[in-house]
Amino acid sequence: MRFALKPGHVVLLLFFIAAALLPLFVDPRGHLLRVAAMALLFAAMAQSWNIVGGLANQISLGHAAFFGLGAYTSTLLFLRLGISPWIGMLAGAMVAGIAAALLSVPTFRLKGHYFALATLAFAEVLRVIANSWADLSGGPVGLTVPFLGTQPLSFAFRAVSSYYWIILALLVIVCVVFYVLAHGAMGYRLRAVRENEAAAEVAGVNTFRVKLVASVISAALTAMCGTVFAQFTFFFDPDSIFSLSGISVRMAMIAIVGGLGTLGGPIIGALFLIPLEEVANAYLSSRAAGLSQLVFGLILIAAILIQPRGIMAFFPKSRVKTPPKAQPATEGARG
Amino acid sequence: MIQALVDGILLGGVYGVISTGLSLVFGVLGVVNFAHAEFLMLGMYVAWFAWRMLGLDPLLGSVLSFIIVFAVGYGVQRLLIQRVLKAPPAAQVFLTVGLMIVIENAALIAFGSDFRSVSVPYQVEGYRLAGIFISAPYLYAFIAAVVLSLALWLFLERSWSGRAIRAVAQDPMASTLVGVDTKRTYGFAFGLGVGLTAFGGAVILPYITVSPTVGGQFVVLMFTVVVLGGLGSVTGALVGGLVVGIVQSMSALFFPIQLQNLFLFVIFIAVLALRPQGLIKGA
Amino acid sequence: MTPTNPKVVLEAADICVTFGGLKAVDGVSFSLHQGEIVGLIGPNGAGKTTLFNALVGLQKLSGGAVRLDGETVSGLKPHRIATRGMTKTFQNAALFPDMSVLENVTTAALLRHDLKGARAKATEVLARLDLSPIADADVADLTFPQKAMVEMARALATEPRVVLLDEVMAALTPSEMDEVMDVIRALKGEGLTFLVVEHHMRAIMALCDRLIAVNFGRLIAAGTPAEVASHPTVIEAYLGHGAAGQEGSHA
Repeated sequence: MRFALKPGHVVLLLFFIAAALLPLFVDPRGHLLRVAAMALLFAAMAQSWNIVGGLANQISLGHAAFFGLGAYTSTLLFLRLGISPWIGMLAGAMVAGIAAALLSVPTFRLKGHYFALATLAFAEVLRVIANSWADLSGGPVGLTVPFLGTQPLSFAFRAVSSYYWIILALLVIVCVVFYVLAHGAMGYRLRAVRENEAAAEVAGVNTFRVKLVASVISAALTAMCGTVFAQFTFFFDPDSIFSLSGISVRMAMIAIVGGLGTLGGPIIGALFLIPLEEVANAYLSSRAAGLSQLVFGLILIAAILIQPRGIMAFFPKSRVKTPPKAQPATEGARG
Repeated sequence: MIQALVDGILLGGVYGVISTGLSLVFGVLGVVNFAHAEFLMLGMYVAWFAWRMLGLDPLLGSVLSFIIVFAVGYGVQRLLIQRVLKAPPAAQVFLTVGLMIVIENAALIAFGSDFRSVSVPYQVEGYRLAGIFISAPYLYAFIAAVVLSLALWLFLERSWSGRAIRAVAQDPMASTLVGVDTKRTYGFAFGLGVGLTAFGGAVILPYITVSPTVGGQFVVLMFTVVVLGGLGSVTGALVGGLVVGIVQSMSALFFPIQLQNLFLFVIFIAVLALRPQGLIKGA
Repeated sequence: MTPTNPKVVLEAADICVTFGGLKAVDGVSFSLHQGEIVGLIGPNGAGKTTLFNALVGLQKLSGGAVRLDGETVSGLKPHRIATRGMTKTFQNAALFPDMSVLENVTTAALLRHDLKGARAKATEVLARLDLSPIADADVADLTFPQKAMVEMARALATEPRVVLLDEVMAALTPSEMDEVMDVIRALKGEGLTFLVVEHHMRAIMALCDRLIAVNFGRLIAAGTPAEVASHPTVIEAYLGHGAAGQEGSHA
């Protein structure tokens, strides 16, 4: 692959360097770093979603399913069998990848609204199972990751900065995967599938395989974020980890507000939305529960109506390549 | 067993009404309204306040719910939905998802997170018929749902506005040519769709408490109903509602209560995958 | 003109396509020999595009079989059939709108090359069709004839042995048409086989070795261009369009 360093990539590189140095300048256990870590984690989640939602243009409203599978797999392996969450993270990625592959079979013909509905239902199924199958999942009360002090091999640290750096590393990995997918041979095929499936097939693109690969990779990366989230927050329950508005919609929304299908979009979206939410929670929530969520929803609506290409569209030369063009009229199964 | 069947039918009639609007909106506007269940919640609140302040029985308050939510829906469509009608599905999906978040949290701010319920004289009453117990609030809600469904059917078949809606659903361009104001019709159809679900929300108030998050309980249920019946099909949604109601109460005989919904989800994904046009053919 | 190489590359055996009871293609059989250019003619709605879609696997057959080099390919996905060596162009230029011309063609070349090789192949195909000057243009900015040419380039980039061309010469000027026909003839000289739908009878008569005529989803005539053009049923199909209810009344 030819590698041409464009201005956008330089900016991104500088951002990663600056982000890596941040803990040296702020309180390593402080709240600020926590918020920054959360923003980076959501950037990684949104970037994972972006592979399916942006590159393949399959609107998933169910990525919480994979996020939750990652969190549950690693945490249960650790609590029940004492397996390190590092290994659990890989196991979670595998479980989520398999789940995504299984889900692809019935849903690969679905487009637009239908795909969104099916993925939404899938996450809801897992939420219900996690709530009801208490023997396995711990049920509605959720799971608590035991606090162990600093034990690097068990993915446990005292300092927020350690988690912060791990999350940053994960974000870099996800961004590299996204870049390679978008710009390699796979990127051509994904765009072809997105823009005209029938023509892509006739031109020799295995559309099912392309979508399958994208969704498996996306799910596996999302699951890894889920494991990191569980380790970082020490606690989760079915309703929060499989949440439609809290996880699935937020992942998509960050990517959309930032710039759907772009490399920088999810990062910009997360850096804009997550701190905003934090501020809103800190100053508003004492007065009225739900106000920050309300603001969130309003931003989403405004983003769709004012600039559907997201914040990235305001940067010159960013060449936003993913205006999801009008789809063929056939919404459901193709004949 | 027969008891479960009867329960299922009573439940399913209401499911049909609350879901019909979702199907109607998709059929006419081509938009899947992810915020649909939030309008159900609004309808429940309207009926609750009507009961609290005016002493109106929710069965009567439902008319108020319908009118107010219809107006809200009309405005929402003209101001917001209309702008994404030609946009790609992603924009449509996330606009209504945004709407869902906004309505839910606006309700949380306005009404607080308390669960509210009404008390009506027939709340715990019922009828016994050949060994089967028919709960009064479920029965009345069912009857109200049936009456409304008939009214809807008559409206769509007979009235000029109803026929305009069906014409626009089939061919917006041709409808414009024969003098139908499509934008107004779209607004009207959306208002009607969410008004119907608000009505359904009101009539179930005697047996379901309302809170800002009540929509979440219904969202997948509604989608299951309309997907079963075929997105866009009004009669399909009514039949789909009955099927879902019966499946739900039948499965309660054999499975713990939490797993009831699981059944629905599995049906939902299976139908989407195998027959996205729906199992039940209808107008 | 008789084919120099009598080897059959494409065989359609009694293929049928049904749309909810309506037979869009009704028992059509024919063979293409290697290095042949065969024209498919018929009035609008005769089932030409449906037949193309059925051949490349976009449309499920309700009966019959499609064989490529003697092997059955019907039932395979279009990309499998493309891998076996048959592809088509789309009548209304179904290019990938968000990509440049080169990227469109490169996507197809990825079927047999890695990314670097695919770019080289795409560049080569574009040069061959005189499209190099617009290689970096966005397809949205192209004229309709240009789009049709890029369609053809994309098809050729899969390195096919059989290409189905669906009206690639529509809207071309006569001199442009001659250039395209020269390219097609040259490719034929390299052993490619073409099945061509075209409304310009001049192009069809000048280009094709043989003609197949269809109407109401059925094969009504086959033979040399002169034979088919003067075939009474064919003339009736074109001129007596709608007058004679010869095959039952299809809407």
